[in-house]
Parts: sequence; C-alpha cells; structure tokens
Amino acid sequence: MSILAKLKGPLSQRVDLSEVLAGSWATLSARELSGRRVYLERDGGARLGDLFELAGSPEGRIRFVGQLDQADRLGAVLTEGEVIVEGNVGREAGLAQAGGRLDINGDAGPRAGAAPPGFKRGMTGGELIVRGSAGAEAGGGMRRGLLVILRAAGDRTGLGMIAGTIVVFGAVGADAGLWSKRGSIVAFGQVSPPPTYFYACTFQPTYLRLLLTRLRSSYGLPVQPRHLNGQYRRYSGDMAELGKGEILAWTSK
Amino acid sequence: MSPSRSDVMKIRGVFIEDTFAEAFTMRVARIIITARSARWVRAAALKLTGFATSVIGCKVEAGIERELPAKETPDGRPGVSVLMMTMGKDDLGKRLIERIGQTVLTCPTTACYDGLPEAPDRVGVGSALRFFGDGFQISKVIAGQRFWRIPVMEGEFLVQEKFGMLKGVGGGNFLILARSADAALEAAEAAADSMSARPGVILPFPGGVVRSGSKVGARRIKSMIASTNDAFCPTLRAVTASALPEGVNSVLEIVINGVDTNTIASAMKTGIDAACRDGVVAISAGNYGGKLGPHHFYLRKIMSGASG
Repeated sequence: MSILAKLKGPLSQRVDLSEVLAGSWATLSARELSGRRVYLERDGGARLGDLFELAGSPEGRIRFVGQLDQADRLGAVLTEGEVIVEGNVGREAGLAQAGGRLDINGDAGPRAGAAPPGFKRGMTGGELIVRGSAGAEAGGGMRRGLLVILRAAGDRTGLGMIAGTIVVFGAVGADAGLWSKRGSIVAFGQVSPPPTYFYACTFQPTYLRLLLTRLRSSYGLPVQPRHLNGQYRRYSGDMAELGKGEILAWTSK
Repeated sequence: MSPSRSDVMKIRGVFIEDTFAEAFTMRVARIIITARSARWVRAAALKLTGFATSVIGCKVEAGIERELPAKETPDGRPGVSVLMMTMGKDDLGKRLIERIGQTVLTCPTTACYDGLPEAPDRVGVGSALRFFGDGFQISKVIAGQRFWRIPVMEGEFLVQEKFGMLKGVGGGNFLILARSADAALEAAEAAADSMSARPGVILPFPGGVVRSGSKVGARRIKSMIASTNDAFCPTLRAVTASALPEGVNSVLEIVINGVDTNTIASAMKTGIDAACRDGVVAISAGNYGGKLGPHHFYLRKIMSGASG
C-alpha cells in the first residue's frame, strides 16, 4: 500500500507544494505528511492536510489525485521515492529534482524539471515522466537525470542543459537545447534544432535502445519498434556554448 | 590408482574412480555482449574468449556461458554471456579492460554490459575504456548505472562503467579413460555438449576438452609450474608410475569453471553421465592430494546425487 493524497475540493488559487516532498519523506506517515507546509497564492501558508485528504501507509510511494492544474512545484527537490500524479499539474513540477520518480499522468505546466529561478542547475537526478504535454523550458538547466514527455514539449525544452537526457515522443517546440553545454534531447516528433546546432550524421545510438527498452519495461511507455530500430539524425550543439550536447531526431529515412 | 576400485560404482559399465577433483577459488565476471546480429555477437565473443584456457599461460580463463535471445539482453538485441575468471581481483580488472578493449570495442555493432549487477564488488571497465574517446566520450546514467558512449568510426561503442565480481570456482574436472582415442574423443564430445549452455558454467578449453592435463611442477626443470600429467599418459605406462587401468589407451580431461561449487557439481554430474558410454573404461579426476585447492568434488558423491 502507499499513501493516497486526494484533493478535498477544487483549488481556487495557485498553491506552492515545493516543501511537501523536499528532503526525506518516504518513511513519513500520512499524518506527518499532512503537516507539511504549502503556500497559497492569496491566503499564504497552510498545511497539506488542509487541502488534501491523506490516507494509507508509507512505503516510499505517494499518489496525488484531483484537479491539480493550479498546484505548482509538486515534487520539487525530490530525492527519493515514487510520486504518482493522476492528472495535470501546474508549473515547475519536479523543480530541481535530485532523485526518485515523479510520474505525471497528464500535462505539466512550464518549467517541469527545470532550475529554480536564479539558479543554474535544474534536475540533478531521478526520473520525471510526463505522460501528457509539458510547457515551456522543461528540463531547463538539467544537470543529470531523465525527463520523458509523451506528447508535445514546449519552447526552449532543455534550455541551458548541462547534462542528462530528455526524451520527447511528440513535437518539440522552438529553440530546444538552446545554450546547452552537454546532454541529450531525443525527439520522435517534429523538432527544429536551433541554428547553433550542427548536423553530424544519421545513425542508431545503441544507448537509446538500452534506455527505451528500460522505459518500456519500467514505465510501460509506448516505445515502438521504429523507435528501437530507427535511425536518428544527430545534431551537435549548442556551439554558442560548450557544444557537447546533442539533439537526436528520429527519422523515417 | 584408487585402492577402492573393487568397491564398484559403475555407470553403464564405466567404472567411477573413488577420487576427487581439486578446484580453486577464483574471481569471476560475467560479460554480456550484444550486437546487431548473432554473427557479430559470436565474432566478438570468440575473440574475447580466445587464448583464455588456463591462468597458467593465459592470465585468464574464459568461455561462452550461453547465447542470449534478444528478449533477455539489456538492449533487446541478440547477445551472449561470457564468464571471465582470474585468481585475483586486480588481475580480473586488468584482463577485462585489455580484452574488452581489444575484442569487443573493436567489433562492429557491439555493446558490452555487466552480467553481475547484484555483485557488491565492482571493477571499473568502461571508466577506463572511455579514454579511447579522447574527450569526445559521453556518460549516461540509466537506472542508476553509468554507461559510456565511446565514439568510433562506425558509430558508437556502449560499455557499462563498472562490472561486478564474485568469488567463483575454477578447475573442476574429470578424466575420461578410454580404450581408444576415438572412444575418448566421442565421450568427451558428448560430455562437453551436455554441459554447454548451462548457466554459471564454462568449459575454458578448446571444445571444452583438454588432452594435455598437467601436474604441478616438473621432474626436470624445477622452475616450471606445470608439466605433463605423466601418470595419465598412456604412452608412458611402462616408464612412469602410471595411474591407468589396463586397456586404457587414451585419456581426455574436461575442465569446468563456474560461479559456485553447486553449479560445477551439477555440471560434472551431467558431463560424467554423458561420458559413460561404450569404449570408456573409467572416469577419474585430477587433484593435488587435496593440499592446494579448497574445493573437492568427489566423483562418487556427485554421481550418487550428493553434493560434491
């Protein structure tokens, strides 16, 4: 069993959940987690238990249920455990995530897995799965870890990436990987690399087979034979930065 | 020759000597190689395990453990698992780096993974081979394990950073004492075939069979660490203290290395059973009086079903 966090009623204002799962949380009881601080945009500080009904026993897993479009920074600085969100989430989900799994069964707002404002480093570990679309600047400043977006990714995905991997099953918005130093952006859908990326070759990266095979088995993601056996156009960049990053664009040719 | 030969244990008329095989503790790594097709998997595995029959002269003992279907490999391609064994930890790391670097990295389309992910003792392999990438290599962490993408002219070579090491056992063996060379070879082939593709076991010698069993040291040249096992050489029956029963004109040895004693004992049972056929007089085993190796595989215990 895991902990179930069910939204008591529709959110009438934005709420910042950045402290809910920061630090060690996996062994906390439902009651202890209920006491964690949240911040309402207009009403200020409150406790998680004021907004959510929590039940179940701690087993390193928590499931959020409800309309969470206005819930921001869920899973921020996550270091451990598995967090499942049934539905959409607001801005900056998995902000600076450092470990654990955050699995969002819906859309994520802007800057999922990105760096906190004023900081250079976004995700430094863990895995962030967005089973819908993600807003702009997903994975911005990513230093390590894995971000998977099953539908479309917004503009400036992987902005200023330092390392890590972003996999996008759908289309990728403009300026993906802009100012990246290292890191990989894998695009199965439409992608237009920035002008500071340069085409290298079309090939089959073995590591991608390894990664995708695992994503299929661990998360049940819809990895197709064409993804595993396909060819990828490799673009190196950002040449305005270190230039050790890459965009791997799946191609049917 | 065992004085208890009269205490008969026979399998299909083949006498089982009351003796034991003496084996040693070694360090073992399991290497998973994948490639685009079975052709290139085999090509890499054969080179990787080439010239790796005995630590006496090869520094490492290696063999193909089994072929792996695509669904069993980390990247979903055809694969093979190889066991590599040395006497010490440090040695194993060196041999892995040398051999994977020269035989798997160089082979088209291959990738190389650790086959002992649970082993707490780990040795850096990809972490050393990455330098071939001359600064262009890329690190990726997948499921908590670091891999290196090393750029090569064909594309990329993918290798896991660290490989697990376990204590294994090397030198499990039995001897097939036959009336003729043909009969010995036929029995040895049957034994090797019956033991091939068993998980946890390799037969490091050519075709799984050794014709030149050795004894420790030498009569003439004292600096030699091994020389021919004259007691089991039929041509020397008249000039040495022979261990061969009458009627034996050829002897072949099967050497078995494995991840643990139970695996080896089980393989020996299968192999000995397969070797007991027409033309075979007896099954014996090589040992050093029990003073050198801590693992003793008693043939009769194994064949009666008890643990060796």
